[in-house]
Amino acid sequence: MTDELRVVGRDHPIADAALKVSGALVYATDMRLPRMLYAKLLLSPIAHGRVAHIDATEALALPGVVAVFSHENAPQRLYSRYRLLPDQDCPEDEPLFAETVRFAGDRVAAVVAEGLDIAAAAVRLLRVQYEELPAVLTAEEALREGAIPIHPGGNLLSEFEHAAGERPEARGNEVTVTVATSLPRAHHAALEPHSCIADCDASGKLTMWSPTQSVFGARTVVADLLGLSYSQVRVIKVPMGGSFGGKQEFTLEPVTAFMAMTLRRPVRLALEREECISSTMVRGASTSTVRVTADPAGVLKDLEVDTLFDAGAYGTSSIDYVDMMTKKLTRLYRVPQYRHHCRVVYTTTPVAGGCRAWGAVDITAPMEIAMDRLAGRLGMDPVELRLKNLVEPFDRELLTGAELGDARIRECLVRGAEAFRWDERVQQDPGRGRYRRGVGVACGAHKNGMLSDTFPDFSTMTLKMNEDGSVALGASLHEVGCGAVTAMRLIVAEELGIEPEMVSVTEADSDLTPYDFGCYGSRVTYVCGAAARQTAVALKERLLEVAAVLMGRPVAELCFRGGRIEAASAPGEGLAPAEAVMAAKTVLHEDVSVQSTHQATSNPGAYSAQFAEVVVDTWTGLTRVTDFLAVGDVGRAINRAMVVGQYQGAVQMGIGFALCEEVGLDTAGRVVPGGFKQYHVVNTPDMPDVKVILVEHDGDDGPYGAKSVGEISVVPTVPAVVNAVNRALGTSLSDLPLTPAKVVAALR
Amino acid sequence: MAVREARTMAVAVPTTRDDLVVALGRATTDTRIIAGGTDLVRSLRVPGDEPDLLISLGGLRGLSYVRLDGATVRVGATTTFTELQHDPVLREHGLCLALAASTIGSAQIRNVGTVGGNIANASPCADSAPALVALGADVTTVDGAGHTATRPLSEVVLGPYHTSLACDEAIVEFSFPALGPTQRTAFTKIGSRTAVTVARLTCAIVARFDAASGILEEVRVGLGAVGAVAFRVPEVEEALRGQRADAEAAALLAEGCVRAIGRSIPDRPTLPYKQHAAVGLAYDTWNALGLCPPCAPAAHDDRPEEVA
Amino acid sequence: MKMSLTVNGTRHEVDVRPTARLIDVLRDELGLTGTKEGCGEGECGACTVLVDGKAVASCLMLALQACGKEVTTVEGLAHGGELSLLQRQFIAHGAVQCGFCTPGMLMSAQALLMENPTPSADEIRTALAGNLCRCTGYSAIIAAIRAASGREADRADGSA
Ligand code: FES
Ligand code: FES
Repeated sequence: MTDELRVVGRDHPIADAALKVSGALVYATDMRLPRMLYAKLLLSPIAHGRVAHIDATEALALPGVVAVFSHENAPQRLYSRYRLLPDQDCPEDEPLFAETVRFAGDRVAAVVAEGLDIAAAAVRLLRVQYEELPAVLTAEEALREGAIPIHPGGNLLSEFEHAAGERPEARGNEVTVTVATSLPRAHHAALEPHSCIADCDASGKLTMWSPTQSVFGARTVVADLLGLSYSQVRVIKVPMGGSFGGKQEFTLEPVTAFMAMTLRRPVRLALEREECISSTMVRGASTSTVRVTADPAGVLKDLEVDTLFDAGAYGTSSIDYVDMMTKKLTRLYRVPQYRHHCRVVYTTTPVAGGCRAWGAVDITAPMEIAMDRLAGRLGMDPVELRLKNLVEPFDRELLTGAELGDARIRECLVRGAEAFRWDERVQQDPGRGRYRRGVGVACGAHKNGMLSDTFPDFSTMTLKMNEDGSVALGASLHEVGCGAVTAMRLIVAEELGIEPEMVSVTEADSDLTPYDFGCYGSRVTYVCGAAARQTAVALKERLLEVAAVLMGRPVAELCFRGGRIEAASAPGEGLAPAEAVMAAKTVLHEDVSVQSTHQATSNPGAYSAQFAEVVVDTWTGLTRVTDFLAVGDVGRAINRAMVVGQYQGAVQMGIGFALCEEVGLDTAGRVVPGGFKQYHVVNTPDMPDVKVILVEHDGDDGPYGAKSVGEISVVPTVPAVVNAVNRALGTSLSDLPLTPAKVVAALR
Repeated sequence: MAVREARTMAVAVPTTRDDLVVALGRATTDTRIIAGGTDLVRSLRVPGDEPDLLISLGGLRGLSYVRLDGATVRVGATTTFTELQHDPVLREHGLCLALAASTIGSAQIRNVGTVGGNIANASPCADSAPALVALGADVTTVDGAGHTATRPLSEVVLGPYHTSLACDEAIVEFSFPALGPTQRTAFTKIGSRTAVTVARLTCAIVARFDAASGILEEVRVGLGAVGAVAFRVPEVEEALRGQRADAEAAALLAEGCVRAIGRSIPDRPTLPYKQHAAVGLAYDTWNALGLCPPCAPAAHDDRPEEVA
Repeated sequence: MKMSLTVNGTRHEVDVRPTARLIDVLRDELGLTGTKEGCGEGECGACTVLVDGKAVASCLMLALQACGKEVTTVEGLAHGGELSLLQRQFIAHGAVQCGFCTPGMLMSAQALLMENPTPSADEIRTALAGNLCRCTGYSAIIAAIRAASGREADRADGSA
């Protein structure tokens, strides 16, 4: 089949590239609405306390200030920024404006003014008195006896254990290693800071323009909070300068909507970088202790994990996020018994929320660091140890019994090891010199959609053919910036046998486009892509139907041939699709358009094996990644250039997570100021040219066999780098990130 | 010159030295002098903290230069880092300053940021400071009365973001003895990544060397980002004077830097790291001088004990 | 204060606060929103524009500092509706994903190529050190710049 593909599988630029290179694409902060007001937040400077008094007199006296909002004049109802579905079970613990501030960065008040400068000046004129409460800065502290409860229910937000299988009888010769790995708070660092615009017209209809990952989710949260019908809230997805999960929950939408609704004017809220880091969401800090047991031949016998997760000040998605952590390792390895105990804990620190790959990074790092330790104990090569335990295609995973589909992690690892010359490079002695070189490997598993979860994993799309044969796909897509729209365009073009330029694709608009849950769970290519293909197939059927009437022949006799609709019995006679559409309109008074719903029926594994080479300066402690290979089991690349590009970008993020990225707090719980000066992401001089190998078998149900890329691509990066550092230095570092100070301390 | 009232803030963009003196004559403690602005612009945005008078040095083309004046190198205060980095006179007679300039920020910062601004801002991490210290630079200023004064750098930068500059006083020039053919110089920096990083440790060396005997005749060492201000390390300078330029000298340099850092930041949590990293930095700087074949510290894990 | 700025070859008179940043004047007064603000602190490069041909961070420069100089923004790269070679190579090499870093990347690359028409990969990396991208891992961007420079572009997307 794939030999015949014309557009799928090739390199295509992202659909709106021309707008982006000319500066013409309009992101939220580029929009100007008539009479638009500007909001600026006052964020709590303390980690924990009560807002005793707010004096807004001076601020309100400043010319151009329109309103000041705080807990004193805003709804007190608690909500969850994560509650995408009306009946979703998630902790509702967050107010629009805090009366009790629970982290440095909590929303205390907002000023709305005719100009941004005025709002910024007015915020500084707000006089707030706080009654400080003890700060609780770590999960351990929060669980200590006598710790001050951050929310009425106490600090333990959730505790659960998932277990499956049975541990085979011990033979006495097993080897067990126990490794605790800590990941710090991390910032998603999409280049576009958070922003949102809301307007409320004279009829009370609220319209929002937001770079969001779910317009329907935003609508749910906002409408439920403000007591509006879902028909009164319209959310329009606008271009997004990256998310990586940082914009998937509704951080700015509720407060912006409230202000616009109150003032009946458009209100824009846009954050600065430091505000994004401290006040929106971070990847939560966690420590996972992996206890893994194998027989002397390296076959896993038992895997036990304990995770302590710092949810920060509000619950948001943290329980689900940690739950996801428990569903990754049995997708990767065959193991007779698996047990995972988790605690999710409130602290008075920045709010944790979803982050690229939802827990897979957080749990794969501890697992894969432990696997290297185990290999060391067994005297076994890390690749060999993994090959003894990785899942096989069409395995069922232990914990949920889900089918893993055409799981090709073994092939990823084998092909990668060969291309990387692993066998040779792993033998190299790092020596005793100042600079030490080492290689590391890691594997990772992820998913394709949310089938096994209690979420609506279907997508509805419409497709209409224009009078010239071009088509318009109506879909609730949420382009985060890596080519979802382009992928849909290619799929439709492939299926219809037309050029991609002949396909227009919408993004989500809760009033206009059909329901889709949103850009979550690596479901877009796999589920939405399949929906696009299915919708294109339905359009072809509709065309045949119309042509049959026009040509006076039974449908069964008609087929597509050379871009035309012809009767099998009468080659040469027939209609071009455009002619059929035109005639349908003028002769039959009918439209050639379809709507189709695709329901996910599977959720196979997505896999990647990655190989890193590092050089560590034993005096300065600085680590450079000098070579990197990522191998991805992608099923089928829809847009090869974007698949490779996403892998390369994911590695940039993973290297940062491994070596330098950390949202640091001072002793009072405030984020160390400095934005990107403090929070270093990897820049060009420190980034290797990442090589990418794609393993393509198209053995699953995605469009043309495609599987997800955007999240799995980052899953094994962190441990690949950490394992390389540990190999180079002979250390057992597992407290991330591996900053120069930690490297040096380990060597001293 | 243009002086324009804008609400309560006045702006002066002098184009000549005389204009500058006139503008400085109006300066108060609320006045800000902006050179490249790469440090200042952010603080100017803080509402309510607007200066009464903003003096932009950007129009003073005449303050952007590097020239050899007899045996003295003169560097105009508004010379950008990019200009310093590539200036042939500086590369020949004060290379460590050109190297320091090349490690500052990004291309975007170097194109705008100036050496005068770097010093007047007085960040403890200012990259140009240890180079200027090692070069023995003097600072020339002009004030609102038109007085010109020249004093050593150490009398200008007093502490973190704290200088002896009066509110009506602007730096106009740096000057230092031109390095000759018998002198070598180097600058190295450790940040938290390869480029675009605040310095965690910087080191500049100027060494006079007798090629015939292989003896170090005079050494000046400047350290930065370890304490309130960049400073010279006389102890090391003494120890190296008269030494052969060989691996032993490199070791002396490293040990001396480690000790100096211990004295400078005895109570900082970053001390152990900076002392360790200083060894690597000292050897890098030494090797960059090119006085002897490259030498390396003993492996950290081969050393019986740390230098105290 | 009133000032005049020359942007993409056109002279504009604006009346702004003396402390207005160049980026704010470009975006808010002149409607040139192609220049992006990713950090406001000189660290991300999204706001990069050219002033007298040199790359600068427009978030760290006051508009008054650019008076009397030639400012070029991403909107000034195309000519007569035709994208420049550099812009076309960015598209062709998949150097654009979310696009938020793209204007700044283009301006840094443009400054580099004006000064050094045939930069090596290392020289490109140095020139782009102040431009962050979270999407691409930089390889495609570097390949695009090499292609625009007329140097033989390696297949730097890494496909093996
Ligand atoms: S916005 Fe100017 S460098 Fe980031
Ligand atoms: S393309 Fe998204 S930040 Fe570069």
